[in-house]
Amino acid sequence: VELDDRVRMALYERFVEEGEAPGVGEVADALGIAAADAEAAFRRLHEAHVIVLMPGTTQVWMAAPLSAVPTDFRVETTRGEFWGNCVWDGLGVVSMLGGEGTVRTRCPDCGEPMALRVEDGQLVETDGLAHFAVPANRWWDNIGFT
Amino acid sequence: MLAFRSEAHVDRWCEQTGLARGAAFPLETAWPLADLWYRDRLSPDWRRRTPAEAQAAFADLGLTGKFWNLG
Repeated sequence: VELDDRVRMALYERFVEEGEAPGVGEVADALGIAAADAEAAFRRLHEAHVIVLMPGTTQVWMAAPLSAVPTDFRVETTRGEFWGNCVWDGLGVVSMLGGEGTVRTRCPDCGEPMALRVEDGQLVETDGLAHFAVPANRWWDNIGFT
Repeated sequence: MLAFRSEAHVDRWCEQTGLARGAAFPLETAWPLADLWYRDRLSPDWRRRTPAEAQAAFADLGLTGKFWNLG
């Protein structure tokens, strides 16, 4: 397995286990590799749009569908609670972690709480709409806004 | 991607924020999109989709048109 895949797997595994994004040092220790090699892999994964680093750092901001920082998309799963980057990613966290869980958010217009419940791999609450402000070919121009 | 209670809420939010209306679709479509996209993300074999693969995935869910064009 390529180094970048091993780093990706270790990063995601720790993120799911710990509930927060690991740093370069933790991933390097987990894999028994040099911190400089892990850091270079973090940067390559960022360049490849697999993860997103905080600007000017090697700190993980997003390892989609997970967010390392609090968002308006809280996700409850059978493997713990996480933040998603958006509604798509919130539902993605539920899918990635077994297809059972709830995404809690609010309608951006009126602030009304919305709970998107997934049971046995099916969305139970189907009222409401998803809205994308940014066309698909510009998502990565500003992935934080997207 | 944000979740709204209805079309009227999307319209009012766009008006108030000054953002152009993008693509709106039922949450019942958002789930299969998310499920397709992320269910294998923890697999060692996971690979990022090519633009053509992503485009085909959108089309399978009825997400077509200029907004969804990755070309």
